[in-house]
Amino acid sequence: MVKYILKRLFQSLITVLLVVSIVFMLLRMMPSDYFFTEEELIKFTDSQKYAKLERLGLMEICQTCHGKGALEDGSGCPDCKLSVQDALGTGYVGRNVFSQLFDFYKDMLEMRVYNAKGKEVKSIDPVNFFTYLSQKSSGIDPFNGKLKEGYTAKATFNLGKSIRLEKNQYVTDVIATKMTASMRISIISLILSLILGVVLGVLQARYKDGVFDHIGTGYTVIVNAVPHLVIYTVIMIAGSALFGLPMRYDATANKPYLTMVLPVVCLSIGSTAGYMLWTRRYMVDELNKDYIRLAKLKGLDDRRVMFRHVLKNAFVPLAQYLPYSILLTVGGSLLVETFFSVPGMGPELTKAISRYDLNLVQGIVLLYATLGILGVFLGDLLMTMIDPRIKLTGKEGVR
Amino acid sequence: MKKLLSLVLALIMVLSVASFASADELTNLNTYETQARELETWNIHYSQAAADLNVLCNLIDGLLTNDNHGNLKLNAAKAYETPDGGKTWVFTLNEGMTWFNKDGEVQADVLASDWATGLEWVLNYAKNDSYNASMPMEMIAGAEEYYNYTKELTESEGAEAVKELTAEAGSKFAETVGIAVDDEAGTITYTLIDALPYFPSVATYNCLYPLSASLIEELGVDGYRDVTWEDMWYSGAYTVTYFENQNQKVLTKSPNYWNDANCKRFDTVTIKMVESVAVAYQLFQAGELDHVSLDQATLQDIYNNESHPYHNNLVEARPTKYSYQMHLVYNKNLEDGTTPDDNWNKAVANENFRKSLYYGLDLTDYFARTNSINPLSCQNFCYTGNGVAFTSDGKDYTSLVRAELGLDYDYEKYARVDPEKAAEYKAKAIEELTAAGVTFPVTADYYISGASTVAAETAKVLENIFSTCLGDDYVVLKTNTYISSLANEVRVPRKASFFINGWGADFADPINFLGQETYNDTAAYYSNAYSNINDATDENLIAAYKEFTDLVVAAKAITNDIDARYAAFAKAEACFINHVLTIPCSYEVAWELTKINNYSKVYSMYGMQSYRYVDWETSTEPYTTEQAAAQAAAYAAE
Repeated sequence: MVKYILKRLFQSLITVLLVVSIVFMLLRMMPSDYFFTEEELIKFTDSQKYAKLERLGLMEICQTCHGKGALEDGSGCPDCKLSVQDALGTGYVGRNVFSQLFDFYKDMLEMRVYNAKGKEVKSIDPVNFFTYLSQKSSGIDPFNGKLKEGYTAKATFNLGKSIRLEKNQYVTDVIATKMTASMRISIISLILSLILGVVLGVLQARYKDGVFDHIGTGYTVIVNAVPHLVIYTVIMIAGSALFGLPMRYDATANKPYLTMVLPVVCLSIGSTAGYMLWTRRYMVDELNKDYIRLAKLKGLDDRRVMFRHVLKNAFVPLAQYLPYSILLTVGGSLLVETFFSVPGMGPELTKAISRYDLNLVQGIVLLYATLGILGVFLGDLLMTMIDPRIKLTGKEGVR
Repeated sequence: MKKLLSLVLALIMVLSVASFASADELTNLNTYETQARELETWNIHYSQAAADLNVLCNLIDGLLTNDNHGNLKLNAAKAYETPDGGKTWVFTLNEGMTWFNKDGEVQADVLASDWATGLEWVLNYAKNDSYNASMPMEMIAGAEEYYNYTKELTESEGAEAVKELTAEAGSKFAETVGIAVDDEAGTITYTLIDALPYFPSVATYNCLYPLSASLIEELGVDGYRDVTWEDMWYSGAYTVTYFENQNQKVLTKSPNYWNDANCKRFDTVTIKMVESVAVAYQLFQAGELDHVSLDQATLQDIYNNESHPYHNNLVEARPTKYSYQMHLVYNKNLEDGTTPDDNWNKAVANENFRKSLYYGLDLTDYFARTNSINPLSCQNFCYTGNGVAFTSDGKDYTSLVRAELGLDYDYEKYARVDPEKAAEYKAKAIEELTAAGVTFPVTADYYISGASTVAAETAKVLENIFSTCLGDDYVVLKTNTYISSLANEVRVPRKASFFINGWGADFADPINFLGQETYNDTAAYYSNAYSNINDATDENLIAAYKEFTDLVVAAKAITNDIDARYAAFAKAEACFINHVLTIPCSYEVAWELTKINNYSKVYSMYGMQSYRYVDWETSTEPYTTEQAAAQAAAYAAE
C-alpha cells in the first residue's frame, strides 16, 4: 500500500509539473501587446513598453548593443532590430522560454527574509532553499552577515507577483486571501448540501414513486434546467424583500454571518440536488439487490435496512468524490462569488486569464491541478477505507 | 423687466438649492464600482489607470486640484506663480501638512523635498518601470536626461545600484532635473524645457505627486513599489480603514487632515464592488447604495411607468471626460491584414466623400443607446473635450471652436446634420470617385468585441443609420468582430475603416487632443496608431493634414497670451473638422438615481481629481428630476 501511495504521489507530481510547464509556455507564446491595457498601449512610449516586458521577465536588455539599439559605429544593432527596414534596434531581445521556466521553478525555492516586525526585508538578496540548507549545515552564513538580529528567513514557495489584478503582491498571498474567503462559504454550503442531499435522497429512495419522490425529482430537474443566474436573481430579490437579508457579502457588516446566507443558499441549491440525485439512484440500485430482499424477508425493520445496509453501500461511490468536493471548496464558485461580490477564488482564474496576469494564472493552475489530482487520489483511499473489499493493489479488483 | 425677471429666477434657484443644502445630508457615502474596475495598485506613482487614481486621489494631496466648475484650485500649494512667462513655475506649500498612517498617526511633515523624491521615483528607470515618466520627460528640463541616465546605469551597474539613487542635494537628480526645493521656505520650483502656460494643470496629476523619503527608508525601494493600503502613508482627506479585493473599500475621514476646517467630508466612503449595474440597482433599491447609473432597460422601465416609485427621481448625469470621435483610417488593409483596401482608401481620401458622411450621418439613434430620453445630450461637435480649457474670461475653449464651425448645441435638433448638403457632397463624391476607379457601394469595416452583445446591438443601430442616411448604393457598414484585443487583432493589421474612440485629457490644454493628430509627428498617437495618415498617398489629403499641422504648431508656439493661444488652436481644430479629418461623435451622458448633487462635485475634464469625495452636497433621499434641474440651472448661473 505504501509503495502504491508513493507511486501515485510521484505520478501526481510529474503530472502537475507537466501541466504547469505547458501552461507556462503557452502563456509566453502570446503576442506582447496582450500584456498592456488599452490605456497603457495609448500612453506608453516604446521604451516604457520594453521596460515593462523586461520586468515581467519576458525580455532582456540586448547584450550586443547594451540596450542602445545601435552599435558603436552608429549602425543599427543586428540582434534587436525588428526588421531590416529599421534604422536602429529596440535595445531589447526576447528571453529564452526554457530559461524563464527554469527561473520560475528556481524562484519557488527562494527564501524570503523578514525583519523583527514581520515585514519583508528587500535589501537582502534572498537565497535558494537548497543553498540555504547546505550552507547552514556546513556552518556557512547564507546571508553573509547581513541577516541582523531578529531577522528570519523563510521558505515561502514563491510563485512570483501578480502583474495586473493585485499588482506586485505575491501570488501566494493573493491565493491565500482568496482561498480563505471562498472556503468560508463553500464549506458551510458543502456540509449543508451533503446533509440535506443525502437525507432527502434517502427519503426519496425510501418512498420511491411517492409524492415526496416526485417533488424531489421535480426539484432536481428544475435546478438543473433553469439557468443558475436566474435562480440566483430570484433568491437575491426574494431573500432581500421577504427576509430582509443583505444582497451582498460584507465582512464589515454588523452581522457578517447574515451577509453569507444568500451566497450559501445559492451555492447549496445545485449541490444539494446533485447529492439527492446520486444518493437516490445508488440506493434504488442497492434496494433491488438480493441481499436486501433477503434482509427484508428475514424481518429486519425498514429503517435498519435503509441506513445499516443500503445507505452504507450506496455511499461508497459518493464517498469517492467527497475529498475532491472538500478540496474544491478552495476554488469557490465563479457565478455565486461574482454575483454576491464574495472576494474569493471563483472568478480569479477567469479574471487573471482575461487580463493576462501570467504569474497568477500559473499559480492558480498549479493549485487546481494539485487539488484535482489529490482529490481523486484521496477519494480512492477513502473508498478502500469505507469498503475493505475494494483493493488498490493486487491482481483482482485493482482500480 | 427682463433683467428683473432673470434676477428673481436666479434668486429662486439659489434659494431652492440652498434648501437642498440645508436638508439632511449623508454622513456616510455608499458608492460602487463594477468588478472589472477594481483597484490594482496602492502606489500612486506606479499607476496610470483611472480605476486606481479614482481612489488614490483621496488619499494623498497634490499641489493643486479642481473645483466643481473645472477651474484650478489650490490644494497642498497655497500659491503658485511664474516669474518668466511660463518657463519657471514656483509653488509654495501650506504649513502644517503631515504624513500619517492608516490609523491617522502622524509619521512625518510634508516637505517640499517630497515632491523632488516623488519625481525622482517616477523618472528612475529601476524604480517605477517608466510609469508616468512620459509627461515630465516632455515638459521638465533634464527629466529625459535623468531617465536615460538611470536606464543606462541599470544596464551597466544593475538595478540594485540604481535603486540607491535619491533626490538629495548634490545627487545626480538634483544636478540634472529642473526641480529645486526649499524645505524651509516650502517652495518647489519647476524649470521647464519650454514655456508652458498650462503647466499648473499638470500639478493635479500623479506624475507630480509627493513621496516621503522617510517612507522609502522605512519600506525600502521594492517595499514602496509593492506598497499596500496598510503600510502606505497618507496626506489626503481620507485614509483606508478596510479593503478586501473585489468586495469593498472603506475610506474614513483622516483625523489629522491639514485642511479639515475648510472642506466638507463624509465620515466614511464605502466603495462596494458589484457584478453589474443591474445588481447595483437592486442594492440602491435596498438602500445599500446612494446612487446608481441606469442601464437602458431599467431607465425605460422607470421612465415609461408613471407609477414607478422612482419615476420622478430620474436625473441626467453630467458628461464623462471622454470626447468620442469617429477616427477615419486612411491606410486600411483588407480582412487578410496585408492587402491594401484601395477602394476604401481612395474613397476616404476624397473630401467630398468625408463631408457626405459628416453632414449625412444622423447619429441620434446611436446616442439613444447611451441616453434614450435625451439622446441629443450626447452630441459632440468638437475634437477637444468640453471643459478642458478656459479663456481668461472663463469661456470654454470649445465654444471658440464651435464659433469657427458655425455650430451650436441645440437639444431639440441635431444641428450638424444637413441632408441637402450631404446629398450634394455625395453626388460630387460619386462622380469624382467613379472616375478614380472606386466601385460602389463602398464597404466600411467596423469592428466590435465578439463577446459583447451590447456592442452588437449598437453596431446594428449604426448599420441602420448608415443605410438610412447615406443609402445602400453608396456606403455599406459591415460589422466584424475581434476576440480579445482590438489593438492586436484590428488596429495593428489595419483592418477597420474607422474606430469610435474616446479621448480624455491629462492636462488643461487643447494640445493634449490636437497633438495626437498632427502629420509626420512620432508623438502623435492617433496619426500613428489609428488613422495611419503618415502612410497615406493622396496629395489633397496630405495637404489638408499639413495645413492643420502648421496651424497647431503655430498655436503651440504662443505661450504668453492664453486667449491668443486658444484662438489659434480653435482655428486649427476648425480646420481639422472642416476638412472632416475626423467626425466628432459623442459624449457619454447617462441617467441615474442619486442622492448626490452632481453639480457640487469636483468636475475636471482632465486628469484625476474628479473622484475626490470633498465638498459634496447630498441628501438622504434621492433627488427628484425637478431638484436636479434646479441644481443644473443654479450651477449655470454661478
